[in-house]
Amino acid sequence: MSIVATKDTKVVIMGGVAGVNAAKRMAEFCYLCNRDYNVTSFVYPPDAGKSSEIPFGSQFLSIPIYKTLADATENHPETNTCLVYIGANRAYTGCMEALDNDKIKFVSMITEGVPEKDAKLLIKHSKKVNKLLNGPSAIGIISAGECRLGVVGGEYNNLKLSKLYRQGSFGVLTKSGGLSNEIMWLVSQFADGITTTIGIGGDAYPCTDFVTYLELFEKDPQTKSVIIVGEMGGDLEEKAAEWYAAKPRRIKLVAVVSGFCQESLPKGMKFGHAGAKEGQHGEGSARSKSDILKKAGVIVPPTFGDLGNTIKQVYEDLKATGQASVVEDIPASQLPDLPRKVEEVLGSGDIMVQPLLKTTITDDRGEEPLYCGYPASDLIEKGYDIPHILGLLWNKRLINDKEAEVIRRILMLTADHGPCVSGALATIMAACAGIGMSQSVAAGLIMIGPRFGGAVTDAGKFFNYGLLNYPNDITGFLAYMKKNHGPVPGIGHRVKSVKNPDRRVLELKKCVRELGLRTPHLDYALEVEKVTTSKKGNLILNVDGCIACILTDLGFPNETLNGFFVLARTIGMIGHWADQKREGGKLIRLFNYLVNFAVHRRREAPPRK
Amino acid sequence: MAKVLEGPGMELFNKWGIRTPRHVVISTSDQIESLVQSNQWMRECKMVVKAHEAIGSRFKLGLVKIDLDIDQAIATAKEILGVEVQGLVISQVIIAEMLVHEDEYYLAVKSDREGAEVLMAKFGGVEVEDNWEKISRTHVEIGEKPTDEQLESCAREAGFDGELVDKMRKFASRLYECYDNEDGQYMEINPLIISPIDGKLCALDAVIMLDGDARFRHPDWNFSFAPEFGRAYTEDEKQIMEIDSRVKGSVKLIEIPGGEVAMLPAGGGASVFYSDAVVALGGTLANYSEYSGDPPAWAVEALTDKVCSLPGIKHIIVGGAIANFTDVKATFAGIIAGFRKAKQEGKLDGVKIWVRRGGPNEAIGLESMRKLGDEGFDIHVYDRYTPLTDIVKFALKGEG
Repeated sequence: MSIVATKDTKVVIMGGVAGVNAAKRMAEFCYLCNRDYNVTSFVYPPDAGKSSEIPFGSQFLSIPIYKTLADATENHPETNTCLVYIGANRAYTGCMEALDNDKIKFVSMITEGVPEKDAKLLIKHSKKVNKLLNGPSAIGIISAGECRLGVVGGEYNNLKLSKLYRQGSFGVLTKSGGLSNEIMWLVSQFADGITTTIGIGGDAYPCTDFVTYLELFEKDPQTKSVIIVGEMGGDLEEKAAEWYAAKPRRIKLVAVVSGFCQESLPKGMKFGHAGAKEGQHGEGSARSKSDILKKAGVIVPPTFGDLGNTIKQVYEDLKATGQASVVEDIPASQLPDLPRKVEEVLGSGDIMVQPLLKTTITDDRGEEPLYCGYPASDLIEKGYDIPHILGLLWNKRLINDKEAEVIRRILMLTADHGPCVSGALATIMAACAGIGMSQSVAAGLIMIGPRFGGAVTDAGKFFNYGLLNYPNDITGFLAYMKKNHGPVPGIGHRVKSVKNPDRRVLELKKCVRELGLRTPHLDYALEVEKVTTSKKGNLILNVDGCIACILTDLGFPNETLNGFFVLARTIGMIGHWADQKREGGKLIRLFNYLVNFAVHRRREAPPRK
Repeated sequence: MAKVLEGPGMELFNKWGIRTPRHVVISTSDQIESLVQSNQWMRECKMVVKAHEAIGSRFKLGLVKIDLDIDQAIATAKEILGVEVQGLVISQVIIAEMLVHEDEYYLAVKSDREGAEVLMAKFGGVEVEDNWEKISRTHVEIGEKPTDEQLESCAREAGFDGELVDKMRKFASRLYECYDNEDGQYMEINPLIISPIDGKLCALDAVIMLDGDARFRHPDWNFSFAPEFGRAYTEDEKQIMEIDSRVKGSVKLIEIPGGEVAMLPAGGGASVFYSDAVVALGGTLANYSEYSGDPPAWAVEALTDKVCSLPGIKHIIVGGAIANFTDVKATFAGIIAGFRKAKQEGKLDGVKIWVRRGGPNEAIGLESMRKLGDEGFDIHVYDRYTPLTDIVKFALKGEG
């Protein structure tokens, strides 16, 4: 048995993140005790209509979120308890809503910093509607083996250590959340554990006082003794003493009160919770409370440090009089463990997971990315540049400065080629249609293919084929190409010719010559060009072909070659997009006179068959 | 509770129709001459000049001067401003008109669990302390207002008669409105007097405690709260309060000069039991501190820094119960960082550190504390199997 929180308790939680965290802790408790989950719903207007995912063992439960408490209890009529996890400025309204809801029988409020006036009005209203309102600033309530409301009890392992999966004989009432855990731990070490523990909150006016809960404990046959952890200030401890002395009580009452240090502090200095304040004339001091409790027959250990022994003594007496018996503990091995997360288990080396993918270039699991093992900051410090990173990520090789210089020039020369080419035009049209940057640039990139900028890879492939198979036989290579593949990729230009050479090609050729690089593919392609230009003036080695040969000479894998054009031209496309945005480019529509409308002349549609 | 100084307190009274002497609060003596030009009463009345700070026993300390004419008042204000008392520099003085009176009365409203109590006495000043049981009281339920009959009978019971009964009713009713609407916790007028100018009741003093938690619904509270223990906050206390006001959870610091045992425990409840244990074993507290509600590590580090900086300390008590949700590993990381910094600065020479804690990630947190021993810290670490306050015993009576 237990009080307030029982196996029949069904909970709605008001509030956002803090409420969800509490809901997760509550699920852990239900899992430990092998009980169904007791949270039916959340009330949190910003997320109304969605649901919260709560881990339960290795499952994930989906708990619905509602806009109002009425919605929640209408959809989950079994709900009888409300936990309030909302801010101090709205907690009063939330609690009033809960008190006025027919389904809700018990409310517990964790909210801290609730104005005292609000708490007092809530006390008055809860009395009027005859319901219990626990808090404010209350950590929660836990009934061993039955029900947990809030995060009270702490982490999973503590639930096990403090034997909260099964009932003992002790009730616990505290103002402090942290101490409620401490007492449960003491009671599990020195006695047989708890029935129910209630944190009533450390404010000046907890809405439900010790006496109300003592009455309930007195009626709970399983609870044989109750431990109160009091604080100086207010008169709840005095009222508890009065209740205890009023007539013979079944339960044994134990109490400790904090605040003795006040006696040796400068006047007016106060510590601890909001409620811990002494009256002007010594009433409510720790000493006065302890004396009153002792006088009422309550067992009061001299200090908190003696509490463990006091609990042990009480338990021995209970056993001696046959009121409590030794409770068998469940061996730890028979209690479920919380499923561990994959990351944790992998770390312990107990399981193996077949990876879904593999990478061989970058590792970002540490403090900074490693490119093929080199920390980015180290590369920067040692003066490496973008082309070196490109070499590492595209070819897994730290290239030398000559190679870097070639790559740098390739990127510079191909960064843009004006607004009229397919790629830039597509980007510009998208920009003028109001499309965002990444989509507009993607529209331009889509144009890169066999006819525009995309010949680099193929050119590299076939010049390499020629160099290997027709090293000294250009005619043979051209015949092979004509028979099997058609025109040689990288040869030919729409406007450029022998007489009107492509300046970019001249630049690149000059560059590799100056750097003294070995360029067998480029040399081979220039031999091919000699033959083709003798047939037709515009069949020159174009910029794609030139780049392809140089990069192949540098040892870049064939499949990466188009990437140089894609990368370089992205710079231009972003520029065109930004240019149109800045200048307010208007929507583009082709003029009719630029289209040959070679369609059927106007005619009447026949009736539908 | 949050104390409001006399100046803003009187403004709050005036807002609700409670008469007070005419007064000005100044923070620089440059203003006085101009103020005299603007306020005719300053040229016509005798005046009282008081230091406008949260300092107890101002009269004894010579920080209150009465029966001053304009020149004396100006001279006194200039004299008091900038004076250093108990480590605090007086930054404001209040100049009020002096109201010569014969009788002094007492009126207060005090919050309790069910509502509030209105207190009246037909005596005032120091007589109140000595005649506490003669004060007449009447209770008002929360959500209600005191009735006219209720206040009148309370006044009669206090010994008021004739037209004073009616005056007390009106005045008490206004004080209650002020208390109720301004989220008061305690409001006291002592003395309450009859003004020699017009024969109406007037509050010569304003003791006002407001509910600091209600600040969110009082945008017109343009004043800051004053410390309640008769001295100003120290710079370190102010810094921790500032951090406390903007982080999740809480960090708290109150310094107690001369103590040898520095406190760095977790939890509003456990921290007081730790302080009790120190006092019970004859130790002297160097401070009160507390962190709770899973505050960020940097906030705990800042608190640790201040605690380590307390002069003349011999022990630091890093105690705590078994936390519900405060992460022990994370908060200890903040404490450890603070300790390392303090050690480098030589603040921990000869200081013994005592640790006891439980809660989320307790094993990792305690282990990292234990490892500080390898770095030359004099540190003693215990887990949940050692009772809560035993570390205080170990510290003060020799290790168990």
